[in-house]
Amino acid sequence: MTAVPISAAVVREDRFRFSDVARVVKLHFVNPSIYFGVPWLILGGAWALSVLITLIIRGASPAVTAEDMEGMRNSWAVISPQWYLVVVGVQAVAFTFNFALGLGSTRRDYWLGTSLVFLVVAAEMATGIALLVQLEQATGGWWLGAHMFDALWFGIDGFWVDWFSAFALQLFVLFVGAAATTIYLRWRMAGMLVSGAGLLLLVVGGIAIATFTETWPEIFAWLGEIGIVGVFTLVLGLAVVSAALGYVVIRRATPR
Amino acid sequence: MTTVARTRGLTKRYGSFTALDSVDVSFTEHRIYGLLGRNGAGKTTLMQLLTGQLFASEGEIEVFGRTPVEHSDVLRRLCFIAESQRYPEDFKPSHVFKIAPSFFEHWDAEFAERLIADFRLPLNRRIKKLSRGQLSAVGVIVGLASRAPVTFFDEPYLGLDAVARHLFYDRLLEDYAEHPRTIVLSTHLIDEVANLLEHVVLIDEGRIILDQDAEELRGSATTVAGPSAAVEQFVDGREVMARDRIGGLASATIDGRLTAPERAEAARLGLELAPVSLQQLVVHLTGGALAAEQQKEAAA
Amino acid sequence: MDESRPIFLQIAESIENDIISGELAEGSQIPSINEFAAFHRINPATALKGVTRLVDDGTVEKRRGIGMFVTVGARSRLVARRRDGFAAEYVRPLLVEADKLGIDIDELAGMLREERTKAS
Repeated sequence: MTAVPISAAVVREDRFRFSDVARVVKLHFVNPSIYFGVPWLILGGAWALSVLITLIIRGASPAVTAEDMEGMRNSWAVISPQWYLVVVGVQAVAFTFNFALGLGSTRRDYWLGTSLVFLVVAAEMATGIALLVQLEQATGGWWLGAHMFDALWFGIDGFWVDWFSAFALQLFVLFVGAAATTIYLRWRMAGMLVSGAGLLLLVVGGIAIATFTETWPEIFAWLGEIGIVGVFTLVLGLAVVSAALGYVVIRRATPR
Repeated sequence: MTTVARTRGLTKRYGSFTALDSVDVSFTEHRIYGLLGRNGAGKTTLMQLLTGQLFASEGEIEVFGRTPVEHSDVLRRLCFIAESQRYPEDFKPSHVFKIAPSFFEHWDAEFAERLIADFRLPLNRRIKKLSRGQLSAVGVIVGLASRAPVTFFDEPYLGLDAVARHLFYDRLLEDYAEHPRTIVLSTHLIDEVANLLEHVVLIDEGRIILDQDAEELRGSATTVAGPSAAVEQFVDGREVMARDRIGGLASATIDGRLTAPERAEAARLGLELAPVSLQQLVVHLTGGALAAEQQKEAAA
Repeated sequence: MDESRPIFLQIAESIENDIISGELAEGSQIPSINEFAAFHRINPATALKGVTRLVDDGTVEKRRGIGMFVTVGARSRLVARRRDGFAAEYVRPLLVEADKLGIDIDELAGMLREERTKAS
């Protein structure tokens, strides 16, 4: 057999290659259950629990009407996967960064690919939740008057507002988790402590200023004014800030 | 000969610790290099810098003509098999072999499958649950099947038994012969790989102390043993790398190849000549500080 | 492989030995560089260097696209060359050792004859 030397010729290629980003997406999705399985498992569990509670209430006092069940609108069950998704954001970066760099990905392509994964996951979750709100309303709360998806701010301003708010929230929790992890990757525990303390100081400072200047009523009035779409546009803005921060930090991060 | 990677004055500091100290080294196309040195000598740091994983404190790195840091066109031609490569949680070897082809354009799936069978690697066991040797096999298989123009193996065979190690050497040689490329092998098992290497780079305390063709090194040092007086007479005026003494007998390791008349002279003096293996040479060259320390301790 | 001498010399010598012993007949094909490398577990570049040495001194010739073959007359040339070096490489050390042990030349000759009879 004749030898086939592997060429060492320089092929300078500064052009952006989407395949470089796509392979990072593929890397994340090699094991898809983390992104697509578990969140729905949590939501499914919360749904089963909500239905069960409804059945118990209705079974205990048959006189309860669907109107009486409106109290369930305050249930937080619909956002039960959010904590898990923060963890997904953390794990996505913590578990794959070293490996992706080991395979020869650039930090830039890695972050772009990871962001793309988050966009896909957020859109998928948002579509699922918004559709389920519709379904819950159409079936009159699963024929029981239960409120699981049609709760909190969902089911008020229609499908697209539900979709947008869910999308913004998912993206926000994913990027917050991921951005925090980039800080850990770059500055380890010390960085986490400093940035955590800094963030806490910022939040507490903000609350203190609002309290001392007695601007809370105005803030609430303003939030009411901008409405659900306005508030979640702010959340989306925070997601974008987290994404940008993560990018800046990871560009100089090194694997362990 | 085309240079594929080169460093100039490359320095890496961690706080007050200097891991690499002004390193000038180059790697040529289609060669198998041995990157040797003691633990903590700077081997891994050098490889991480050459693969764009770490940022240099000072100096230049050029791989395929430019810095590897954040340059996809360079990184695409490199494969770095780290001693303690971390894999994503819940990953199985099958996941690794599914994703690797997207990152290495010369990936040979058939070759990978053959290696998986050779190493008897369980594909569907969690990586966390693999033995140390099986974990090493994952890296070895990726490194070989990637056929990257420059492949770095950092202590690739922790936990691999002698059979598996020789399998690695055999497959490496076979595949290298068919697909010549640059291989940089960092290892402690110098005797085992000595004949595989074409070039040897020895690092000690962050500096390159030897950068030479393996063939030139072979027989470049000799140990002379016999009566102390005769040994002293023979080594007089030569560079002695190591000395040992038991009673009236002594041995000395000298640098440089012996000529036929010198060998005859040694025979006349009743001295035994023994070749110094690459491993012994490395021990002599890098053990200096250790030996001095031991002497100091003994004296105290 | 012997640690004291370059491997490529040892490769060249082992091929020469096979030619002298007749294992590799004149005109026959010798194994490829990669086969040598795999068999001895050595770097192919080293094997190439060893074989190149034989090509340079005319013991082996390259035939493009086919492989490498032992040249006609290679064996007799090798034997002649080995004979030249025989005294220096084997006889002289023998005499040094014999002197050390007080074995005179006649006794040595006797021993050589005895060994030859035993061997045949």
